[in-house]
Amino acid sequence: MPEEEAKPEAPKPAPKAPPTMAATPWEGDLPREIKEQFGAQILEASTYLGQDFFRVESAAVIPLLEYLKLDGDFDYLVDITAVHYPDRPQQFDLFYILYSFNRNTRIRIKTQIAETETPQTAVGVHLTADWLEREVFDMFGIRFAGHPNMQRLLLPEDWQGHPLRKDYGIIQMDNQWVKENLGIESGQ
Amino acid sequence: MSKFLRTIFLVDLLQGLWVTFRNQHPKHIYTEQYPAERPRVAERYRGAPRLNINPDNGETLCISCNLCALACPEYLIVVTSERNEQTRRKDLTTFTYDTSRCMFCGLCEDACPVDALELTQDFELATYTRDGLIWDRQMLEEGPKPTRYKF
Amino acid sequence: MPETTFLDSTEMVLNMGPQHPSTHGVLRVILKLDGERVRGTECVIGYLHRGVEKIAENRTYQMFAPYVDRMDYIAAVSNGLGYCLAVEKLLNVEAPPRAQVARVILTELNRIASHLFWLGTHALDIGAITPLFYTLREREEILKIFEDYCGARLTTHSFRIGGMLYEIHEGLERQVKAFCDMFISKVDEYEELLTHNRIWVERLKGVGILNADSCKQYGVTGPVLRAAGVKWDLRRAQPYSGYEKYEFDIPTAQNADTYDRYTVRMQEMRQSVRILRQAVEGIPEGPIMAKVSKAIKPPVGEAYVSIEAPKGELGYFIVSDGSTQPYRIRVRPPSLINLQALDRMVRGALIADVVAIIGTIDIVLGEVDR
Repeated sequence: MPEEEAKPEAPKPAPKAPPTMAATPWEGDLPREIKEQFGAQILEASTYLGQDFFRVESAAVIPLLEYLKLDGDFDYLVDITAVHYPDRPQQFDLFYILYSFNRNTRIRIKTQIAETETPQTAVGVHLTADWLEREVFDMFGIRFAGHPNMQRLLLPEDWQGHPLRKDYGIIQMDNQWVKENLGIESGQ
Repeated sequence: MSKFLRTIFLVDLLQGLWVTFRNQHPKHIYTEQYPAERPRVAERYRGAPRLNINPDNGETLCISCNLCALACPEYLIVVTSERNEQTRRKDLTTFTYDTSRCMFCGLCEDACPVDALELTQDFELATYTRDGLIWDRQMLEEGPKPTRYKF
Repeated sequence: MPETTFLDSTEMVLNMGPQHPSTHGVLRVILKLDGERVRGTECVIGYLHRGVEKIAENRTYQMFAPYVDRMDYIAAVSNGLGYCLAVEKLLNVEAPPRAQVARVILTELNRIASHLFWLGTHALDIGAITPLFYTLREREEILKIFEDYCGARLTTHSFRIGGMLYEIHEGLERQVKAFCDMFISKVDEYEELLTHNRIWVERLKGVGILNADSCKQYGVTGPVLRAAGVKWDLRRAQPYSGYEKYEFDIPTAQNADTYDRYTVRMQEMRQSVRILRQAVEGIPEGPIMAKVSKAIKPPVGEAYVSIEAPKGELGYFIVSDGSTQPYRIRVRPPSLINLQALDRMVRGALIADVVAIIGTIDIVLGEVDR
């Protein structure tokens, strides 16, 4: 989170940059191969705490997943998840975590998408993505283009709002629901 | 042939049935006759909370540091105190603990620096009203008093 | 009687509603039936959604640990282990050896407890009522050990970030050894009741087949994957908390049907006893908690750590922004991912088999819905 710090020399205070992850570049056969194949769409290949990840453009995600599945042996999609950063122009970080049985390694693919963007669905590549993408839609509101059944998974179909966004207030939402449906004051 | 006989005479089913009959022996009775027999509760069991009292002078051990309230994930402890001018320490006035939302995780007990707040082995906490589950200081010091049945 | 031709049939939609004794919780399965054969299913979940991931954003790291137990409430110790390992990874600390051995002991006991509960309820769904009583009786012994150690039977909150809070209570070694000696004969008893019983075999063989390729495509892990012939266990592939020191086999089977998942889980219980005997032999002396500050503030970053929970691969993905509260915690629940494969497993089966298949995937709705 950005912090305000006044420098005594400068005429006006400048905000310090938000601290970022201390990731180190990832060297190896796999990133080199991927960079050759995909070129400029791979924005970063780093490793942090021993866990490797690629940061790619959102259009390159599905081709990269296909390539990794067919040529890289990464046949197991572990998880799809998202993180919401409301202060950035590209508000969501979308993560795909992949694992390869033969290589026994796990990698992450990270991409940044804006609020109104609809990324391609990964169901064509990995069947697991079905419910995982539905849950990301349910919690964050990111729609996936081409998904066979883009509906809410955990919450009722008529629920308004997307809970895991940062601007979703739980207590205010609880009070509102209780007042509407039960007619009493909530005890929060 | 032997397989045919085993099928006709239901040997595999009788084998399973024999296990059941073996367990009918009275030494295998596992039922606890509660409430006549009290169950065995471990020493470290996280049950009802209690505010301990100093055995020497009868005063409470709590120093109103508020660490338990800060550690609680449900924010259900409210500690108020007033400053005592003579000893320059805080004196505890009220201590409210809401057992209806408590999940008995033990974080408050771990946080207390003087071992004043302790989770005891009492597990019989039922009351007839919801408000009866919000405990004030006196209830915390005495502990819940469930009805003892005589047989 | 309206005029219909003899071959005119339509699909019937039947609701196995959220209140059902055999769906292991509040799970709603909408079955599209053709007579008694199932043509397709749709699972409706979310009846137990408590918003654990949203709660995590408003609690500190230590405060969140009790909430984690309540997701997979049958095997609560594994959840705690995964969470503590994930936060320790972000902090770049490692628990001391004594804590690691104690963690292994509790986690393996927890695995046996989870499989015992699974066996009891699965047999109950199929119709065999007796194993339930026996398995729960053995589970009581394990829960007594948990109670002696950390004070709670089910939602244990036994591990802390950096190690464990309580010192191992005296008598743990004696209790675990007594349990191991008693337990193998009990597993033999369950096998005597079920394994060659013709009713059991007929109900389970050939039902709910999910071969290895489908498992990998659907991301299914745990005993379901191992019953399909893939010899993969996270404790062997990417060991954590000292598992590389213990010798144990990974049971697999060939046919990938319900009966094989039953045999795989029974074998896993035996292997867990083997690990327990090795672990309890030499518990090293030393500190039980690493040096971790009271206010845990991991540096900015993200990490994904997963462990082999009794139900599959349980993963925690934690994004930290440098403050005392996590920015995002994502739990990768094995039961949710395994439940997705229900649709594939149930094609062409009878309604009674649907109950058997839901039981064999071993789901816990607390984990599916979080």
